[in-house]
Formats: sequence, C-alpha cells, structure tokens
Amino acid sequence: MSEPTQLHLLRPGQKAVITKINGNGALRRRFVEMGIVKGETILIERHAPLGDPIEYFIKGYHLALRKEEAAHIEVTLHGEAHG
Amino acid sequence: MTAITNTVFKLDYGGKIEREIAKLIAAFDELDFDTARYPKRWLALKLLEADEDILQRVRNMPRGEDVIARAQQGANHLKDMLGDDVDLLTADRRYGYINGVVRQSLHRPLVNRITLTDRIDDIVTHKWLGLPVFFAVMYVVFRLVIDVSSPFLDWTDALINGAIARWLRLLLDLLPVPAWTHSLLIDGIVAGVGGVLVFVPGLLMLYFFLALLEDSGYMSRAAFVMDRFMRVVGLHGKSFIPMILGFGCAVPAIYATRTIPSRRDRVLTALLVPLMSCSARLPVYVVFGLAFFGARAGTVIWAMYALGIVVAMLAGMVFTRTILKPDVTSAFVLELPPYRQPAPKSVLIHMWENTREFVRKAGTTILLASIVMWTLLNLPWGVSDPRHSYFGQVSGALAPVFAPLGFGNWETGGALVSGFMAKEIVVSTLSQVYVGGEEKPVEESTTFGEELTVIGRGFAEAAVRSGKILLSILPGVDLVDEEADAEDTLLSAALRERFTPLSAVSLLVFVLLYVPCVATLGAIKHEFGRSWTATSAVYQTAVAWLAAFLIYQGGRLLGLG
Repeated sequence: MSEPTQLHLLRPGQKAVITKINGNGALRRRFVEMGIVKGETILIERHAPLGDPIEYFIKGYHLALRKEEAAHIEVTLHGEAHG
Repeated sequence: MTAITNTVFKLDYGGKIEREIAKLIAAFDELDFDTARYPKRWLALKLLEADEDILQRVRNMPRGEDVIARAQQGANHLKDMLGDDVDLLTADRRYGYINGVVRQSLHRPLVNRITLTDRIDDIVTHKWLGLPVFFAVMYVVFRLVIDVSSPFLDWTDALINGAIARWLRLLLDLLPVPAWTHSLLIDGIVAGVGGVLVFVPGLLMLYFFLALLEDSGYMSRAAFVMDRFMRVVGLHGKSFIPMILGFGCAVPAIYATRTIPSRRDRVLTALLVPLMSCSARLPVYVVFGLAFFGARAGTVIWAMYALGIVVAMLAGMVFTRTILKPDVTSAFVLELPPYRQPAPKSVLIHMWENTREFVRKAGTTILLASIVMWTLLNLPWGVSDPRHSYFGQVSGALAPVFAPLGFGNWETGGALVSGFMAKEIVVSTLSQVYVGGEEKPVEESTTFGEELTVIGRGFAEAAVRSGKILLSILPGVDLVDEEADAEDTLLSAALRERFTPLSAVSLLVFVLLYVPCVATLGAIKHEFGRSWTATSAVYQTAVAWLAAFLIYQGGRLLGLG
C-alpha cells in the first residue's frame, strides 16, 4: 500500500481509502454525517472550473469539498479508476 | 405462554461502548437523575458522544452537572482504550451495520455506469465550459422572464388601467359620493396597486425558473462552480443560496442566512444580499427599459443584475478587509444530487406562494403607500399643480441632491423617497404623478359583454405573441413582428419627455443600489440588530449615489448624454 497523503492532493480519477479524519469537533461531526468515515473508499471526480472545490464520489453519491476541508482527511491511494 | 417479541431495534456498539452505556444508565439511578423526558439508552449514548444540544439541556436539569461529569469519565476512558472520540466510534459502528445490511440485500453492477447525470455534469461543471454555462443559463432565464412575460404585462396593464378603471368610474357615477372619493379610488388606489399588479405575469415567470433551477439539481452545480468566486468576496459557499433568493426578495433571503454556520459570514451575506436585484426592482427596469431601449430592454435589465453582483463583490472585498475580517472558516460540504425532472406540482406551488406573497405586499404596504402618496399629492386641499402639493414641496427640497446624477426633478426625487417603502413603488409613484393626474381619453361607450370579448381576445393575442417571442430566442428564428413590439404605454411616453437614455440608466443604477426597502431593513434589524441595519442603509445609499454619479457624469464626458 502506498504512502498516506491528504485527500485534496489527489488527482481526478484516483481512488483512495480514508485512514484518518482530523480537524475540530464540529467539522469532523459534519464529515461523519456525510458518510466520510475511516475505511470508506472515495473517488476523486473533478475540480470545479476555478480549481476549488473538488467533487468526490463516496457511498454512491456526489459530494463537493473545498481543498482546505479535504486537507483534514488522510487517505492512502488505492489505484486509478478506469473508464 | 405467548411471548411478546420485543421489536425495538437495538444496535450493538460492541463490548466496551456497551459497558460504558450500562454504567451511565446505572449512574442515572444512583444520582437520582430524572430521565423521564428521554429514553435512557439514547440519552446515555448522546452524553457519551458529547452532543452539544443534549449537553446543554442536561446541564439545566437537576443533578445534570454530576451526570455530565460521569459521562465525560466514560468518554475519556473509551478514548484511551479505542483511540478515538465516542461520536466517531459510534458512527463507525452504525455505518458498519448499514454496510452489512446493504451487502446482504443490494447488488450493484460491478462496472460503474456512466449516468445521464455524469454526462450533464461533464458539461456544466467542465473546467472551461462550467462558468460560461452558468452565465448563459442566468442570461437565458432572465431573457425569458422579461421578454416572454411582456405581452401579458401589456394585457394586464390594459385591463386594469382601461376596463377596470372605466367600470369603476361608471359605478361611482351612479353613487352619491363626493368627487374626492372618485379621485382617491381611481387616481390613488387603482393607479397605485394596479401599477404593481401588472407585474404578476413577470413574477410568475421568474419564480417558475427559480423553482426549475432548484428542483432540477442545477442550483447545487451552480454553487459548486461559483464557490471560488464567493470566497474571493469573503463569503461561504452557502451564501450562494441567500444571494440567489435575493433575486426574488431580500426579506426571505435575509432569513435564509440562518443556514450559514458562522455569524461573521451571516452578517456579511446579509449586507450584500440587498445588492442582488430583487423582483421588486424588476418593474422599474422593465418600464424604463422598454421606454428607452425597446427591443434591447432585456440586455439593459441583464446589465443591472450583473452590476448588482459586481458591486456586491467589491463591497464584500472591502468589508472582508475592514469591519468583517474572516474568523475561523466554516466547512463547505455540499451534496450534488442526481438531476431530476422537476415535479410540476412543486413548481406550481413555488410560483403561487411567492407571487401571492408579492401580491399580499402589494395589497397592504403598497396600498397604504398609495393612499399616503395620494394624500400628499392632493394636500393642501384643492392644489391644482402637484408641484405645489406637500409631496412636491418635500421632493423639490431633495431634488438638488439628485441633480448631479441626471434626475434632479421633484417627481423623481419623490418616487425615490416613496421607493423606500418598497422599490416597486418607484414605478407606481411615477405613474401616479405622470399619468394618474392627466385627463383620460374619452372612452367609447361599449357594453359589458363587448368589453369582456375584447379582454378575452387580448389575452389570446398576448399568449400568441409570447409564444412567438419564446421561439425567437432560438438562434435563427424570428417570428416577432417588430411593429407590435413598439406598442407603448402612457407612462413610457411621459418618461421619454423627462429622461434621456443616459439619465434613465443612471436612475436604474441608483434604484438598484440605494437603501434597502423598509421590509428588508426590518429583517436585518431582527437578525443582526440596529447597528448593522444602519450600516446597511448608509453604505448602500452612499454607494448608489457614487455609482450613479460616475455613470451619468462619465457618460456625459463620453458624449452619451
């Protein structure tokens, strides 16, 4: 398995597994409510036209996060999605 | 013996957490803590998770502090053992359970299908196409709202100021009422409220498209595409929703700021929302746009909306660097739902409720304002020239302030003063001053039945024209007969005598930007208190004067006036 990194550093098309969620209590609770939990697979879909926020695919739905928020989520790379 | 099975679902959080839950429940009894209002297991779980709302409630109950202390011990113990906060641990267990159920019952195809939503998103959130698509959508929507509704606007205008005023006059002739009642009803009430009701067709169209954007799912793509912009201005992505609502009415938009997490973001959003051109300002643009720019009215109106956004951006940057510096930023977590076909019923309800709200305002605030205005115009009693009425005197005193902006006449000053009640009143005041007082042309005597036929035929013709205009928005299709478009209201003619196109634009800019209406200031005061309300009123009026000044004087230097 590859080095742990931060979610916002990944490129569109990459797939990762969430390993740790940092940040203050309110932010972490918000993440958890949206299904961002340890062990979940997350797919990086696309950047907004101005580069930020970034759209992700997790738990069967699409979610947008700003880079500064995504930076609180630690992941390990899990490969590239094909097609 | 027949056993009654306990069907209450209970999720097992695992030995360690379950042990702490049991210990805390035991502590409730031991401390003699009254949990009658909540299920014990649920309360224990929430206390271990340190749920803010529940902690607050328990703190205010007898022995609450003791119970919280015990819960904290338990939570700390779990954190030491399991290495995480209890709320994250329990969330893990819940998602784990859900995953198990889903795996047993739902089979997904292994290959991810490219859905229609994905394909649409490839375009509307595309790196280069995303922003042009956003602005194009906004432009088309507002073209449709203005141009397609305009034949109905003309029809409603003809109905209220023609047939209805005529019938009312005939009715009043039969009744033994003094002459001033005629004047009040026809020149005051029908001219005033009628002047606002004519915009109902446009508002129905506007709310139709807002509902369409929201229900289809495009609205959240717009937030995704626009978020980076919002941050330049110092706003949160969620500010986008109040800002969009601001195009309808600033009052619900101010209340919608409650969804924004931090107070600083809420205050800044509330200060900028009134710069979004609300639907009450639309009547002013439409009247002046059609009077001075005819077929290009849609472009002028679009420019007003764009200018409001630009000024809001500049104001946001200034506030962010001065009195509203950013504090700890709040999270931007936005779901992008699949596109859906909007449900016609929900769209209709949306249109109906918002338009009804506007009409209700027209029925009360505006009626009241019309009566006050009529009174000011007709006092001292017997005044023949409106210029010498109380209204004329007050407005005349203000006129020099507006002279450098290109509209230093007492009528416009008065309309702007009365526009403080609600911005659409600017139009009804001008209409009352310029048209209301003038002699009506002698009406041909027609029977009631004939008149109804004419009204019905007029509506059908409006529908046909509107349909043609709708098709003409498609490139290469031109069904609109320009001659029909040149048709004019009495007010347009009156305005063209008093304004140049340049001073008309200057006035529109001033109306766009100056002090928010009474209702908006009321909402700001309710949410943020007196000093922010004063800030809002003062800064907007100053900005409005400056912007109109630059446009008028700049235009004159360029030889446009």
